[in-house]
Amino acid sequence: MRLRTPFGRQQGRRLTGLLVGSVAVLTLAACTGSAEDAANDDDNGSDSAPAAAAGSNDEEGDQVTIGFSAPAADHGWMAAITNNVRDLAEEYPDIDLQVAEGTNDVNLQISQVETFINDKVDAIVLLPFDGAAMTPVALKAMEAGIPVINVDREFDDPNAARVTVLGDNYGMGVSAGQYVCEQAGGNEDVVVAEIAGIDSLPLTQDRSQGFEDALGECGLDVDARQAAEFTVESGEEVAANLLQAEKKIDFLWNHDDDQGVGVLAAIENAGRDEFTMIGGAGSANAMRAIQEDSGVLKATVIYPSTQGADGVKLARLLVQSKAMSDLVEVEVPRTVQLFAPVVTSENVDQYIDSAFES
Amino acid sequence: MTDSPLLTMRGIVKRFPGVLALGGVELEVRAGEVHCLLGQNGAGKSTLIKVLSASYQPDEGEILWEGEPVALTTPQASMDLGISTIYQELDLVDDLSVAENIFLGHELSRGGFSQRSETIRRTRELLARLGHSEIQPTRSVGRLSPAAQQIVSMARALSQDTRLLILDEPSAVLDQGEVDNLFRVIRDLTSEGVAIVYISHRLEEIRQIGDRITVLKDGSTVATGLAVDQTPTSELIKLMTGRSIEYVFPPRGEAVPADAEPVLDVSGLSLAGVFSDVDLQVRAGEIVGLAGLVGAGRSEIIETLYGARRATAGTVRVNGKELRRGSVPAAVKAGMGLCPEERKSQGLLLDQAVYSNITVSSMSRFSRLGLLDSRAERKRSTELTESLDVRPAGVDRLVRLLSGGNQQKVVLARWLLRECRVLLLDEPTRGVDVGARAEIYALVRSLADSGVAVVVVSSEVEEVLGLADRVLVVREGRVVHVGPSSDIDESRVLDLVMEGKVA
Amino acid sequence: MSEQSTSRGAEHVPDVGEVQNPVTPTRETITVERAGAESPSSGGLMSGPFGRNLGLVLALLLICAAGVVTAGDRFASIDNILTVLRFASALGVVAIGMTFVITGGGIDLSVGALVALCSVWATTFATQTMATDTHWTIMVFAALAVGAGAGLVNGLVIAYGKVVPFITTLAMLAAARGLAEIISERRTQIVTVDGFKDFFGADVLGVPLLVIIFALVSLGGWVLLNRTTFGRRTLAVGGNPEAARLAGINVNRHTVMLYVLVGVCCGLAALMLISRTTTGSSTHGYMWELDAIAAVVIGGTLLTGGRGTIVGTVVGVLIFATLGNVFTLNNQDTSTQAVAKGLIIVVAVLLQQRLARNATST
Repeated sequence: MRLRTPFGRQQGRRLTGLLVGSVAVLTLAACTGSAEDAANDDDNGSDSAPAAAAGSNDEEGDQVTIGFSAPAADHGWMAAITNNVRDLAEEYPDIDLQVAEGTNDVNLQISQVETFINDKVDAIVLLPFDGAAMTPVALKAMEAGIPVINVDREFDDPNAARVTVLGDNYGMGVSAGQYVCEQAGGNEDVVVAEIAGIDSLPLTQDRSQGFEDALGECGLDVDARQAAEFTVESGEEVAANLLQAEKKIDFLWNHDDDQGVGVLAAIENAGRDEFTMIGGAGSANAMRAIQEDSGVLKATVIYPSTQGADGVKLARLLVQSKAMSDLVEVEVPRTVQLFAPVVTSENVDQYIDSAFES
Repeated sequence: MTDSPLLTMRGIVKRFPGVLALGGVELEVRAGEVHCLLGQNGAGKSTLIKVLSASYQPDEGEILWEGEPVALTTPQASMDLGISTIYQELDLVDDLSVAENIFLGHELSRGGFSQRSETIRRTRELLARLGHSEIQPTRSVGRLSPAAQQIVSMARALSQDTRLLILDEPSAVLDQGEVDNLFRVIRDLTSEGVAIVYISHRLEEIRQIGDRITVLKDGSTVATGLAVDQTPTSELIKLMTGRSIEYVFPPRGEAVPADAEPVLDVSGLSLAGVFSDVDLQVRAGEIVGLAGLVGAGRSEIIETLYGARRATAGTVRVNGKELRRGSVPAAVKAGMGLCPEERKSQGLLLDQAVYSNITVSSMSRFSRLGLLDSRAERKRSTELTESLDVRPAGVDRLVRLLSGGNQQKVVLARWLLRECRVLLLDEPTRGVDVGARAEIYALVRSLADSGVAVVVVSSEVEEVLGLADRVLVVREGRVVHVGPSSDIDESRVLDLVMEGKVA
Repeated sequence: MSEQSTSRGAEHVPDVGEVQNPVTPTRETITVERAGAESPSSGGLMSGPFGRNLGLVLALLLICAAGVVTAGDRFASIDNILTVLRFASALGVVAIGMTFVITGGGIDLSVGALVALCSVWATTFATQTMATDTHWTIMVFAALAVGAGAGLVNGLVIAYGKVVPFITTLAMLAAARGLAEIISERRTQIVTVDGFKDFFGADVLGVPLLVIIFALVSLGGWVLLNRTTFGRRTLAVGGNPEAARLAGINVNRHTVMLYVLVGVCCGLAALMLISRTTTGSSTHGYMWELDAIAAVVIGGTLLTGGRGTIVGTVVGVLIFATLGNVFTLNNQDTSTQAVAKGLIIVVAVLLQQRLARNATST
C-alpha cells in the first residue's frame, strides 16, 4: 500500500528528467521527416504556432478524434488550459476535438472518459482533477487501445498514460527562489514573504518546497508565509493581513497571478512599495505590469497554461504515427516536463504572447 | 339601512374540475345591513367569499356594485371597491407587530420612509374604535390570543375604506364577552353604512345581530333576503339541511358510580405561569368538561396532561400508572388520545390520505417487521369511516379535501382505532356544521358508554354542560368549581368564569 | 341564548334515535361533496405521484430521444448506457438518502463532505492494514460506521439541540471536509486491498455491481418509504411535525434516524466511489449536496417535506446523468452545458409546481 500525492511524484520527476523542453520547443515543430508522411503537396503553414516553420508534421493528416477533459475552469489558468486546447484544435483541420464539461467531481470526470472510450475516440487528453482517482479509468482506456495523454496532474500508474505532459511546480519554486537569491546579492538579512495558493493542494506544497530549498542555497529563508485560495478576493484578504503583520518586506513571492490581482490591490491600499514582488503562473496581466516596470511586480515564474494544448498536439502526432520533429527519436516521448522560466522586464516580450488572460 | 342594494350577485356559477362548487347563487346586500349567509359545510359559502374577494373568477353570472356591473378580476380590484374579508383562518404575519400587520401592503410612508409614530397613532385609533385599546400596537401578533388576533384582522379591514365587510365564522375563536364586543363593533359599522356579510354556524348569533338571511345549500341559493325576525329557526334548519335537525345532545346513560376507580387521575398538575394545582379524576364511562374563557388555561391543561407540554409539578396517572412528564409517546402508550384544538395545524396530516391519518397512531398493529399491510389499513379505516359516516367516502382521499366535521371524525377515528382509554377533546365542534355536531356528540357519548374516560374542552358553555357528566370551571389557570353538570346552569358558569364567584 | 341552546329539553326532533347511533349512516349526502368524489383532481392516487412521475419519465425519454437523434448508436449502446448508470449509481444512493431527509422536513448539506470523510476513513493506512490482515469488509464497516456516526451527530443536534438543519449540516459540511483533510493529510489514499477492489469492481451478468447496488438501494428505499411504518412516520413528521407529535410519534427520535440513514447512504456511496477511483480523498463528493438536492427536487419530492418519491428521485438522477452524457457526446461547450442544466432545473420545478397546484386547487 502506498500513500501518495495525487498530482504526481515531484521528487522523482525532478531527478528523472527524461526530457526537459521549454514551452517554445514544444510549440514548434520543424521538419525532420516522420516515418510515414507522403502528403507534401499540402502546405498549410499559415496555421502554425509561433516560430514553427511549415513542415510535414503540421500538414493535414488522417482525421484524429481527441477527447479532452479537465477540471472546472474556476480560475484563470484552468480556463486558459481549455481555451488554448480549443484554439489549437481549430488550427488543425484534421483534429476533431470533443470537450467534456469541466468538473471537479471525479465521479463525473470518470464517466466522461468512459464516454470517450465507448465513443472509440483516437486519443484522450486528460487533465485529471485528481490523478490517482482517475488512474483506473485511464488504464481502462489504455487497455481498450486508446492512448491517454496525461496533463499536469500525474496518474498513479505509469501504464495509465502513453504520454505525460507535466508542469514543474517544484521548479517554479526553485526559479522564484533563485531569482530572489540573485537580487539579494548575498545579503542574508533580507525579509522574504510568501503568499501560497490553496494549501491543501500538493502542487502548492511542491512550489513552497522548491522555494524554500532554493532560498536555502543562498542562506535565506521564508520569514512570513500565508496561503490564499487562487482567487482575487482571497489574495486581497491574505495580503492585507500579511502587510499588517510585516512592516518591512524585501521580497514577496505570490504563487498565482490570478490571486495576484488581489495581492497587488492590497499592496496599493497599504501604500507599500519598498519590496520586490515575484508572481507565479504567468498571466498576461502580470506580464504587462512587468513590461511597464512601474510597480512592485518585477518578475513572474511561468507555469505554462499551454500544456493541455501540448497534450492535444502530441496526441495528434501519436495517432498519425508521427514523432516530434526536433528529436531524432521516431516515437513521441513518454514524459515531457515543461520548464518554469522567470520572466522579467528584460525577457517579457518573448513570453507575453503566450500568456493567459486571467 | 337603505333599500338600494350595494352588492348584487346573480346566477353565479363556479366549476372546479369535476365539481360544481356554485350552481347559481343569488345574493343581494344593502348598505348598512348585516346579511347572514347560512349553510352547512360544503354548501359553497367559502367559494362564494372567494369569488367576492376575487380569489376565484366565476364561470357564469354577474356582479353588480351599486347597480353597475363590475368585474372582480384581481384581489386589488375587489379591495378598491371597498370589499374586505376576515377569514376563518386569520391571515396575519406572526412576527410582525400589530401596527405593521394592520398597515401591511398600504404602509403609511413619506418619501419611502415609513411613518412610525403616525402608524402607531392610527393603530391606536382603530383599536379603540373596536373597543380594544388594551392591545399594544408594537406587540408581535404571534403573541396575541386568537381573539385579539381577530381584532387586529378587523382593524386591518377598517384601516382601508371598507364598504362591505365579510366575516367568516368570526365568533369561532371568541368567548361570550368578546362576541358581545364584536356585535357592538358590527352595530357601529352598520350605523356608518358599512354592509356586513356574516357567516356563522351559531343560529343564536344570527338572531342577535342579523338583519336578513340568505341560505345556501349544495352550491345554490335556496332562500334569499329572509328577514331574521320573521323566520323561525325550524324553517332555517329545514332550508339548510333539507330536513329538520336540532342541535341536540344525546341522553346520558346511567351515572358512573362515584366510588369507581378513576382511569385518569391528575393531581396537583401545574405549568408555571399558565395554570397551577389542577386535580382531575375521570372514571371509565364518564365525560368531564372543562369550561372557561379563552386564555384561562383550558387547552394548556389537557395538552400538559397529554405530555405535549412538560408539567412543572404534579402527576398524571392512567389506570394507576404514573406517566413520564412531557412525553406524548408515553401518554399514547398508556392509552390516551388527543383531538387538538387546531385540527388542521395540530391534528391532521392534510396532504395524506384519510386512512393514513387514521392509522398513524396504531401503525404497529398493521405492520410486521416494520412492513405495513396497507390493505388491512384501508379495510379497517373503511370500516371506521363508514361507521362514523365520513363523507365523502373513500379512505384514499386527501384529508385536506374534507369538511371540518368530517376531518374531526377522522381524528376521532384515529383514537377509536387505537381503542384508547382516555380521550381528550379540545373544541371538538369548532368549525363543524349543525348536523355533524350532533353526530359527534352522539359518538363521544357512545365512546364513553363503551368505557372510555373522556375530557372535553369547549368555549361553548352549553356544549360543556350538554355533553359532560361533570364540569370543571377554570378561571385564570385555576379550577374554581367542580361538580356534576346537572347542578349548574349556563348563567352560573358564566358568572364563575367572568367574576370568579357566583353573582 | 336562543331556543337552540335548550336542545336537551323536550322539543326533540324526530330523528334523535339516528343521531344517537353513529354506526348507522343516515345523514343525507351533501351533493357538492359527492360530486367531489368524481373529481380527478381531488385526491386519489392517479392524479398525484403517478402523474408527476409520468411527466418525469417522459422528460427522461425525451432526453434519450435527443441522444439517439444526435448521437445515434454512440448513445444507444449497452456500453454507453452502463457508463450513464455507473455515473448515476453513487450519486443516486446519496440522493435516495436525501429523499428521506427532505421528505421528513429536513435537509442535509453535508452529504458530499460525508462521502469524502467516509472514503478517507475507509482507506487510511490503519484501516487498510487491518483489512489486509483480517478481511476487506473492515473497510465497508468503517465507511458505513463513520457515515452513521456523522449522521447521528447531525440528527442529535437538529432534534434535541433544536438547531435548524440548514445550519447544522452546513457546519458538518465544513467540519467533515476538514476532518477528511486532516486524516488524509490532504493526500489521495490509494486502495491496495485486492479483496475490496475485486468485490466492488465485479460484474454480474454484465451489469456492474455498482449499478446493482444502486438498483437495490432504490428498491429498498421505495419499500422503506411506501410500505413501512418508518416511511409513514417520515411523511407524517415532514408533513406536519406538530400533528405527528400529538399523534404519539416520537418526532425527535425519528429525525435522528433520518440523518443516520442519509449518513449510511453516504458511507455506501463512498465505498462505491472508492471502488470507481481506487482512492479515498478529501476532495471526493465535490458539490454532491447540490446535485443530490437538485435530483430530489426535480423528482417531485417537496422541499418543504411531507411528500416524497423514490421513483422520482431515481428518474431525477438519471435525467441529470443522461443529460450530461448527451452533451458530452455532442461535444457541447462546458458553459452551454451549465446554462442548459440550470434551465432544466427551473423548468422542471416550475412544471412540478404547476402540477401540484392543479392537484390541490379544489
